[in-house]
Amino acid sequence: MGLFDSISISATGLTAERLRLDVISGNIANANTTRGVDGQPYRRRQVVFEERAGGQSFQSVLNDQLGITQAPGFGVRVSKVQQDESPFKLVYDPQHPDSVKDPNDPMYGYVRMPNVDIAKEMVDMISASRGYEANVTAINAAKAMAMKALEIGR
Amino acid sequence: MSWMNNQAVNLLERSIDAAGLRQKVLANNIANIDTPGFKRSDVSFAQQLQEALSGQSLAGRRTLAGHIPIGVDKLENVKPEVYQETSTSMRMDGNNVDIDSEMTNLATNQLQYNALIQQINYSFGLMKYAISEGKR
Repeated sequence: MGLFDSISISATGLTAERLRLDVISGNIANANTTRGVDGQPYRRRQVVFEERAGGQSFQSVLNDQLGITQAPGFGVRVSKVQQDESPFKLVYDPQHPDSVKDPNDPMYGYVRMPNVDIAKEMVDMISASRGYEANVTAINAAKAMAMKALEIGR
Repeated sequence: MSWMNNQAVNLLERSIDAAGLRQKVLANNIANIDTPGFKRSDVSFAQQLQEALSGQSLAGRRTLAGHIPIGVDKLENVKPEVYQETSTSMRMDGNNVDIDSEMTNLATNQLQYNALIQQINYSFGLMKYAISEGKR
């Protein structure tokens, strides 16, 4: 119980949004990487958010038995970092070291570029940073409330 | 009901608890702003309290502990309830958290919490005044 729960719920939001931001940074940094770890062009990664369920902690069981109403969830978590399976972008650039070199190949001169769309990443980045800010605001509100509660009986 | 634990203080206490719970629920909504399929929750306390205070709601009187509670008959039985809004959808992914309304709720809840603390302080101030026989 207490307002510290609220702060830890918001902290899960901060963690999740920061990881999302890290993944977006990775995508932007690798927007032109034609050689990934598997030798293929880099594939765009995206995070999957999931609601963090309240486990069977002693506190929650006790509160249940005492009939104390509890918050329904315990914030958010990143369940996995998923690869975007959409096709790679094809760019005609015969000088590129990774272009198709065989003149008989109909794909001659084409390079497979990562399926990263910079505009999309930028939009996601703003979304992540605004989400982060919203969680910071919630933490500040909880903090202010806890400080106010200390004034009882002054 | 002792002099220290009168109805006003008791009610304020429970309202503060409800506001604390609401803060948690709202924080959970905000943390899940980007979770696909997440449905927002909220706390109903003010409405229940209003009904119990006005005595307008239908309530079954409980004369035995085993009776099933119908409505809220006594002020002591007003309890914050968490409910989920499952019928609406804000976006394509089924999430229905509206960040604007959540932030507004957060600010409102904080103000309400502060007001309640101020009120409880006032009640304690009155007691202090009585204890010191009115000499500050």
